[in-house]
Amino acid sequence: MKDLELVAKEEETICGFSRRDFLKFCSTMAVGMGLPVGMGAKIAEAVTTQKRPPVLWLSAQECTGCTETLLRAGHPTLDKLILELISLEYHETLLVGSGKQAEEWRVKAMKEYKGKYILVVDGSIPIKDNGIYCKIGGKTALSLLVEMATDAAAVVAMGSCSSWGGLPASDPNPTGATAAHEVLTSKGVKTPVVNIPGCPPNPYNFLSTVLYYVTFKKLPELDELSRPKFAYGRIIHENCERRPHFDAGRFAVQFGDEGHRKGYCLFKLGCKGPETFNNCPIQLFNDVGSGAWPVGTGHPCFGCSEKGVGFTVPLHSPARPKYITPPSFFTDVFPGKEGVGSGTKALAAGVAGVAIGAAGAAVLSGLGKKDDDKKDKGE
Amino acid sequence: MNHKDIKMMTPMTMGLLLVMAAGAVVAIYRMLFGLGAATNLSDIWPWGFWIGFDVLGGVAMAAGGFIIAGAVYLLNWNKYKPIVRAAVLNAFFGYVLAATSIFFDIGQSFRIWHPMVMWQINSIMFIVAIHVVLYTTTLAAESSPMIFERLNMSGAYRFVNKIMVPIVLFGVLLSTLHQSSLGAVYLIIPSKLSPLWYSSKLPYLFLVSAVMMGLAMVSFETILSARVFKHKLPMDILSGMARGSLIVVGLYFILKVWDLLSGPGIGAAFTGSFTANMYLLEMMIGVLLPLVLLAVKDFRTRSSSIFAINILLIVGVLLNRMNVGIFGLAEYAGRFGVDYFPSLMEIILTAAMIAFAFVGFKFSVKYLNLFPETEH
Amino acid sequence: MSMNRRDFLKTAAAGGGMLLASQAMPVNATMSKELSPEAVGILYDATLCIGCKSCMVNCKTYNSAAKGALSLGTEAVAPTYEYSTPEKIWDDPHDLSAKTLNIIKVVKNGTGVSKDIPDNGYSFVKQHCMHCITPACVSACPVAALQKDPKNGVVYYEENKCIGCRYCQLACPFRIPKYEFGKASPQVRKCQLCNHRFAEGKYSACCEFCPTGASIFGKVLDLRKEAQKRLTLKTGDTYDFPVQTVNSKNTSRRTVSKYISHVYGMKEAGGTQYLLLAGLPFEMLGFDKNIKDEALPDLTWAYVSKIPAVIATVLIGGAATWAITKNRNTDKGE
Repeated sequence: MKDLELVAKEEETICGFSRRDFLKFCSTMAVGMGLPVGMGAKIAEAVTTQKRPPVLWLSAQECTGCTETLLRAGHPTLDKLILELISLEYHETLLVGSGKQAEEWRVKAMKEYKGKYILVVDGSIPIKDNGIYCKIGGKTALSLLVEMATDAAAVVAMGSCSSWGGLPASDPNPTGATAAHEVLTSKGVKTPVVNIPGCPPNPYNFLSTVLYYVTFKKLPELDELSRPKFAYGRIIHENCERRPHFDAGRFAVQFGDEGHRKGYCLFKLGCKGPETFNNCPIQLFNDVGSGAWPVGTGHPCFGCSEKGVGFTVPLHSPARPKYITPPSFFTDVFPGKEGVGSGTKALAAGVAGVAIGAAGAAVLSGLGKKDDDKKDKGE
Repeated sequence: MNHKDIKMMTPMTMGLLLVMAAGAVVAIYRMLFGLGAATNLSDIWPWGFWIGFDVLGGVAMAAGGFIIAGAVYLLNWNKYKPIVRAAVLNAFFGYVLAATSIFFDIGQSFRIWHPMVMWQINSIMFIVAIHVVLYTTTLAAESSPMIFERLNMSGAYRFVNKIMVPIVLFGVLLSTLHQSSLGAVYLIIPSKLSPLWYSSKLPYLFLVSAVMMGLAMVSFETILSARVFKHKLPMDILSGMARGSLIVVGLYFILKVWDLLSGPGIGAAFTGSFTANMYLLEMMIGVLLPLVLLAVKDFRTRSSSIFAINILLIVGVLLNRMNVGIFGLAEYAGRFGVDYFPSLMEIILTAAMIAFAFVGFKFSVKYLNLFPETEH
Repeated sequence: MSMNRRDFLKTAAAGGGMLLASQAMPVNATMSKELSPEAVGILYDATLCIGCKSCMVNCKTYNSAAKGALSLGTEAVAPTYEYSTPEKIWDDPHDLSAKTLNIIKVVKNGTGVSKDIPDNGYSFVKQHCMHCITPACVSACPVAALQKDPKNGVVYYEENKCIGCRYCQLACPFRIPKYEFGKASPQVRKCQLCNHRFAEGKYSACCEFCPTGASIFGKVLDLRKEAQKRLTLKTGDTYDFPVQTVNSKNTSRRTVSKYISHVYGMKEAGGTQYLLLAGLPFEMLGFDKNIKDEALPDLTWAYVSKIPAVIATVLIGGAATWAITKNRNTDKGE
């Protein structure tokens, strides 16, 4: 009987997960953010006991890739995410209603959750000619962003476009495409912004950020470009599985050549891993196992998440490594030793000892005697 | 005491033979497995104990040969004739040992003849190699009368004696060049050798210190042989050489001080660093102390004090050679974290060489008429 | 005393007499101090180097081929990898050695985070033979096993002559010639600028395979011009850095880093055919500050050139002394 009860408890579902799967998910998220495994329980508690966090999602000049990327998340799946983990109040692509109905709901939600909701922005904001190049419900994306961000608890800029301009901001940038945080700063909106750059970004980087906020009521630690450090703390080059080939100087020179087939480093094919901050090599994509990221498939990283790299420099031009701390196995020019080696010193001490000994003995025994010559001569 | 009565198989000789046997084993090991297996040499320490001690020291020790031969045959100071054979034979041993050390020290031992046919006159090493060969041959010629005498080959004996003056002249020339060229070897490393020793005057310093060493060595041996083989001490010869030593040590002292002043300055010798201390030790034992002692006439005329001064000079010049060859490079090598301490095999082979010299000399005393005058 | 080589030989032959006995004529009697206009070399710009070690790998690959500096023969050898871990995963040399003729090292200062900046920065540096214009090793070698090509200026090695005295190792101020201490029949190994590839129209492998143009190959005169030009560029400007060779059309557009305004190798040790540019002082990059601008062979030639005079003086002086003192002794009635 007891066993049956246990089984029943195990089968009990939380947020549509089995209990076991749910805790696993929370732990995964915790680990992904670099939190201790025990934090999984805290996240689980936060998700289950609190009201689901309201999220409003504003799309500006975008390609819907950032929404698509959420579809590629397996734990949780998109439906579980939006129906059971967060309360997605407004999202132009996913909203059932449309037009006036949708816009009314947006205004209602903003009022209801004022100061509590999370605003997600994907796509860059055109600011040229007062932002006329992107309009939703007759309002420019520019005014919508300012309006929605003002009342939000936090802004998550999803994707490269909203993080730093992305593809639309490429030269000559006809629409004046601008990053969300730049727009907000220029308009004096003080709501904190988290940037999740990438084209598209890894869905787990987004989910982890949201869950962190839900759990701890604050944003995760950010770098100087407002990117969560747990995901963007290191350059791709540092965690790349092909890094040993780079360190050993083994490079693919052409697509399909011997080095390329053997999985050598793609630096010479223009891989931007050495100048791009992201966790692609560890987090991977699509939950299909190892190698599921651009470099893993044999194409050089093109720096999609890095301002000044992706959509800016030619796809296959060599990277300008900006953060290459030399690996420890590089030899120092000077091994850091000072002075004379101990062996040489020992030899010198030995030689000096013999020399002083011989000299001392000679002087002591030789200078004292007076009579030996007479004896010699007398012989 | 008749030299024929010298006992060959004393415990001392047995010990020396044992060392030589160990040396032979090391030599075979070195030839079979290479320098890396036998020595602690490395790319930063390409030359070690064999060059710093055996070759530089050995050649300096052999300088007595050309000095005494020159004094007797060119300056016709016949006073020194009784010791000329011993001096020349000693030099011969010194050169054979230096050549043997070089044979084992170079990586391709069986190409040791290459410099004879592949000339490269820019190279001091070429000059050195040519001189080792020519001078060893010359020394063999200078020592040959003893052998011819022993073998009763009177024709050859007379012939060699007849051309002895040109041979000796040639030997003096070669020695002058060879002793100085060993110093010149180090002229090309101004960035590596400590400024306490590096100087453009290195060839002169090597030559003068070799003369110093040569005189001391011959005097030392004369006293030692007289004590061991119990014949009379030729005091006039000894004090004559001591007078010579005084002049040479004085000259060397002036050269050294001039060198220090024109180079790194007096202060460099008193920094308390490793090299500075080695320099001071060398100067104290090898130059200052002997100079002070030699200046006292009483010490120049007593065999026991001459003997002591000789030891000081020999040790001092050996120190100088090891300082130039090894310790003067230590700070440079230290910067690259590379250390050097001679391997056991390097030390054994060196010991075997010294043992060979002792046994060989003893053997020569027994069978050759090494001290012709003392028997009269 | 000063005298040229011809005079030296004449006097030496006349004075020494016996020196004439050898039929061999001196090889390399002249140590030129002039850079051959055809001389080739390498320019290494540390600010472009990313420490990928491609040059090291390809140096081994191409010099292990027939006639390379590592095979030294008509047959190719297995690349001389140096493993420092028991797994033997990758070539991991810690210094130049008889197996490694080219190495990338790193210099860190302070926290060592910013590239090519002296304070709290770091820099890579590539070490291999400098191919001196007047090489100390060539002048030191007693058997002319090390020689300098009069045309392209490559310092190369003839393994059948070498006796293994290792004077070249002592003489070289840059610690370049390396010896095979581990072998019973050892050789000296050093970079020969891939001169075995020149005939095929190829050039140094380290330059051919450098992805960033940090190492470029070319005539030394061109390289000097290029290096001087880079020093005149403004920090922060962009410049099209040639890749592989100095006159290459393949360029890499980059921001100019701050250089130490000195081209290493213009004058050091009499000038070298390997030139370096860097953002850190060269003293920090492992170049001995005691290396002066003088050509080292001059120092020993100063001695060699005096030999004929010594020979003449000793022979004449000695003979004269003998002649004078001989009579004195006869008078004494010895």
